Amino acid sequence: MNDAIVVSHISKSYGKVEALRDVSFSVGRGEVFGLIGPDGAGKTSLFRILCTLLLPDEGTAAVDGFDTMRQMREIRRRVGYMPGRFSLYQDLTVRENLAFFATLFGTTVEEGYDSIRAIYSQIERFADRKAGALSGGMKQKLALSCALVHQPSVLFLDEPTTGVDPVSRKEFWDMLESLKERGITIVAATPYLDEVRRCERVAFLSEGKVQGIDAPDVILSRFKDVFNPPAIVPSAATQPQQAELAIEVHHLVKAFGTFHAVDDITFSVRKGEIFGFLGANGAGKTTAMHMLTGLNQPTSGTGTVAGFDIRTQHEQIKRHIGYMSQRFSLYEDLSVRENIRLFGGIYGMKPVEIKAKTETLLQQLRFEDHADDLVASLPLGWKQKLAFSVSIFHDPAIVFLDEPTGGVDPATRRQFWELIYEAAGRGITVFVTTHYMDEAEYCDRISIMVDGKISAMGTPDELKRTYGKPDMDSVFTYLARQATRSSD
Amino acid sequence: MNPFWSFVGKEARHILRDRRTMLILFGMPIVLMLLFGFAITNDVRNVRTVIVTSQQDHLTQQAVERLAASEYFTLTATVGTPQEAERLIRSQQADLSLIPAPSPKGEGSSRQWQIMVDGSDPNMAQQWTAYAQAILSQPISGKSHIHPSPFGEGVGVRLLYNPQMKSAYNFVPAIMGMLLMLICAMMTSISIVREKEKGTMEVLLVSPVRPLMIIVAKAVPYLVLAFGILVAILLMARFVLGVPLAGSLLWIVVVSLIYILLALSLGLLISNIADSQLMALLLSAMVLLMPIVMLSGMLFPIESMPQVLQWVSAVLPPRYYIEAMRKLMIMGVGIGDVLREVCILSGMTVLLLAVSLKTFKNRLE
Amino acid sequence: MLRYLIQKEFLQIRRNAFLPRLIIAFPIVIMCVMPWVMNMEVKNVRVCVVDNDRSTRSQQLVHDIEASRYFRFNGLKPTYAAALKEVETSKADVVLVVPQDYGRELELGRNPQVLIAANAVNGTKGSIGSSYLAQIVNRPLTRDGLSVQPVNAGLLSLYNPHQNYKLFMIPALLAIVMMLMTGFLPTLNIVGEKEAGTIEQINVTPVSKWAFILAKLIPYWLIALFVITVSLLLAWGVYGITCAGPVWLVYALAMLLALFFSAFGLIVSNYSDTMQQAIFVMWFFVVCLMLLSGLFTPTRSMPHWAYLTTYLNPMSYFIDAVRTVFIRGGGLHEVLRQLLALGGIGLIMATWAVKSYKKNH
Repeated sequence: MNDAIVVSHISKSYGKVEALRDVSFSVGRGEVFGLIGPDGAGKTSLFRILCTLLLPDEGTAAVDGFDTMRQMREIRRRVGYMPGRFSLYQDLTVRENLAFFATLFGTTVEEGYDSIRAIYSQIERFADRKAGALSGGMKQKLALSCALVHQPSVLFLDEPTTGVDPVSRKEFWDMLESLKERGITIVAATPYLDEVRRCERVAFLSEGKVQGIDAPDVILSRFKDVFNPPAIVPSAATQPQQAELAIEVHHLVKAFGTFHAVDDITFSVRKGEIFGFLGANGAGKTTAMHMLTGLNQPTSGTGTVAGFDIRTQHEQIKRHIGYMSQRFSLYEDLSVRENIRLFGGIYGMKPVEIKAKTETLLQQLRFEDHADDLVASLPLGWKQKLAFSVSIFHDPAIVFLDEPTGGVDPATRRQFWELIYEAAGRGITVFVTTHYMDEAEYCDRISIMVDGKISAMGTPDELKRTYGKPDMDSVFTYLARQATRSSD
Repeated sequence: MNPFWSFVGKEARHILRDRRTMLILFGMPIVLMLLFGFAITNDVRNVRTVIVTSQQDHLTQQAVERLAASEYFTLTATVGTPQEAERLIRSQQADLSLIPAPSPKGEGSSRQWQIMVDGSDPNMAQQWTAYAQAILSQPISGKSHIHPSPFGEGVGVRLLYNPQMKSAYNFVPAIMGMLLMLICAMMTSISIVREKEKGTMEVLLVSPVRPLMIIVAKAVPYLVLAFGILVAILLMARFVLGVPLAGSLLWIVVVSLIYILLALSLGLLISNIADSQLMALLLSAMVLLMPIVMLSGMLFPIESMPQVLQWVSAVLPPRYYIEAMRKLMIMGVGIGDVLREVCILSGMTVLLLAVSLKTFKNRLE
Repeated sequence: MLRYLIQKEFLQIRRNAFLPRLIIAFPIVIMCVMPWVMNMEVKNVRVCVVDNDRSTRSQQLVHDIEASRYFRFNGLKPTYAAALKEVETSKADVVLVVPQDYGRELELGRNPQVLIAANAVNGTKGSIGSSYLAQIVNRPLTRDGLSVQPVNAGLLSLYNPHQNYKLFMIPALLAIVMMLMTGFLPTLNIVGEKEAGTIEQINVTPVSKWAFILAKLIPYWLIALFVITVSLLLAWGVYGITCAGPVWLVYALAMLLALFFSAFGLIVSNYSDTMQQAIFVMWFFVVCLMLLSGLFTPTRSMPHWAYLTTYLNPMSYFIDAVRTVFIRGGGLHEVLRQLLALGGIGLIMATWAVKSYKKNH
């Protein structure tokens, strides 16, 4: 009875798709165990089986000494589970959500407060705001607080930090570490390498099979090509030094009531540049992006995008930009080819041109065999690459990418960035937001937003020099910790 | 706080926060009651009448005056030929036309008439002519303000339970049947399925709370809501529409509670089958609402339907509820006379509850 | 650009697990089941007779009732109270009480009073049932010429000589078809895109308001046209009912109604965030419009304040006009007023709909 979790020879398939094939491993009591692997590797199925939500086709699993098939009630009394798409009650306030989940797990907010202090204190000032009115990252923080408010003996976390900024992720893992000290066993799935390194052991799952279980460093180096692809070396061609400006913004403000989501920002982006637009959750990135793409009217300030005024000429702007949003933005019930044709047509491309370019694109992405598959059936990484390719299909002057690689494994992210470089090489200006600091290093220039203002701007090297930090991660952490408001 | 009540509180907040849906949930019964109570009637009233006449003689004059004096007919025009009258009816400017037959045979005998009526709506056409004939056949000496009986001379008619023939008497039980079903079954199923769709159900299932309790807690606020609406409908029926609550109030409430329980089990069953809100919505609308409105005798008499549809109607719970309510509320019979309906309803409730509990899943698919 | 958007909508409708089936099944259900259901024809009225006379005359009366297509004879009961019990347990709808000496009084040329007691909880059924029964009771009087003819007026029933209730209902059912196909479906579609977030993607493309809205509506208008055609064919094939007036007018009226419903649906979807909200709001308004439109009960019977609402109710114009064309054989001239009113209301709603749809906040 030393092991908190024992999994032996578990298999599970949905119809013809095999989600898990003969998976076996065990997790010791009080261990922090990582589950890593590409999207669709079977991580979520495994979590559900361990939480007694699914029955395996074959094999057995025991959690805290209880069998998942027969002793459902015992297990449910002892485990905590945060599913990948943990959803809060949008119409309840922050406080009500937390109180509800606390009672659900048989505890109170007061009792559990210590274990969530680090993260909950950041959103506590919005305790009476409805959860639906919070920004994406803030919701995730509230979800984390709700999942951690009780102290189960085993905690399952399915990609808990997707979309959360690096500073908050560090705080979150600090919290997990303190839970571990109380003897709580933690199993977590994550796409972030820095989080993988904080586990004691990790299992690498791919195509439903356990490829290896070991200490993080061992796994990361053994499967180097998947997790630690060689950094892209930007060629000289992608570093244009044209003076022409693609985006120019002066004193831009967007206020919702008395709250200034974007508070007087001024910056410019050169043509052909890859511009990283960083900031903590709720710093105002998405709002700023919405103003640039013509979805929102600025409250005050001026700006041009591709030479057009963002206040008056937003429809012309839309003709010259591409956009890929945080939420996946292709039509899931259309096939790959149909999506390409639709967006080509929307931008007024000729049918012949669409046809020719579609074939080239499919070849380039190596999607020829899946051209007629529904987008819904593709793995997440593929969808993201496709969404990006579609957003630049009409050769826009500028493409806006809003957290394009959230939740994607490192190898796919690398491929994604190759596409970005390729586009920049063709002269397309790239405006991108991300929470991955390794990606920040790939940008020509970056800006970091704190509390609605731009607090730093320059090339990654300049920023590292200015703040005397070894990498972008430290620069970001340093700046983001100065935030006084945590809002959306 | 005990998890059960915490659940109930959470669910109540969901309902209260969605203002628009709340507004409609409470607005609907009120508007429906008012419409059915006052606006929706089959009364013979304002029948636009055209007189076709070439010469105005004394008899015609008298008959026309009598017709015009009644509250049922409005004279809109006098035209020369039947063709013109027909054209007016065709273009929806008249409903009925009176054509006097050529000069009567002798003095003293009554005038012969030809009535031309817009027969598009057979029921109304039948009633209009019956009223017109009754007025025309009245003895000439009769006082014109006396209300004619459209039933002829030798017949006394007693309209039981609803002497003023208010349509509200018929519709109030039907509205109760429809709304209680709608609120309990549709709203409950959607609210359960929403949790499934949003992923919160996974967390709820993994929590130490028993799954069955989650469901029961979800049902409680809707039960209270349904009961509130029941009371509102009864109060409105009694004091605004003047529908008598002839039977025992206790039994009305008891039978309604059985029905509410049945609707909740149905809602649970739907939520077990559906996995998206849209599907739950369509299932409730297609499988519940449409058949209830159409087949349960709410608007259309069951006896007039073909046999096959009567069989379908026989398995619809609201049919028995509406029938029981009509008897208890309007006809004021004792519980003994609705025993059959109550037994069928109770049987259905037990069956549905058993099936829905049996199919309730503790795990995901 | 519009072409691609419309193509996309069609693809999505085809891929949907439910919609194609709905589009096929809906006209069939509406045309093959509804006319049988929405039948306010009063028939199979169950009659209990309390015969206090037991003469040949009264037996003749019972015989006449049995022979009538409106009534089902439900047996003789000894007393009025016993017969009333039958009504209370829903075994009978009408009680006919024949007085003592009914036969003899008739022979003497007097007018004996029979009593009809009808369950009037359902007012229509009660009154029409009793009036049919009264006709049967009064018939022997006419036949024997013993009394003054109570009915001295001939009747000419226009347009619907067989008193076919289905003929009355079928054209009106087209309104329900339009409501679902061009009102509810596009609304659900748009709110669905809102919930999925794909609408944001469309909003940053150069697709104009009009293109977006038209691309959403045109497929459903085409589907509605198809469904109407199928419905009309079914009406002809199943019931032998055809349009008495020009068919193109029926289509024109339907398309104007479609304009209204689509615009209304768009307005609702612009102001709703969830499908549930959109459906409830639409349902509420549609039920009110439908009840006040004259679909089931004549608008003329409504009290004055309720009648005034029909001036604003497009359903009411449509049902009026479509019945005029379909049943009464009216032409353009007869329904011009309704056409203009429908078009006007439709345009006002459409302007509001386009105004309230915002790409840029």
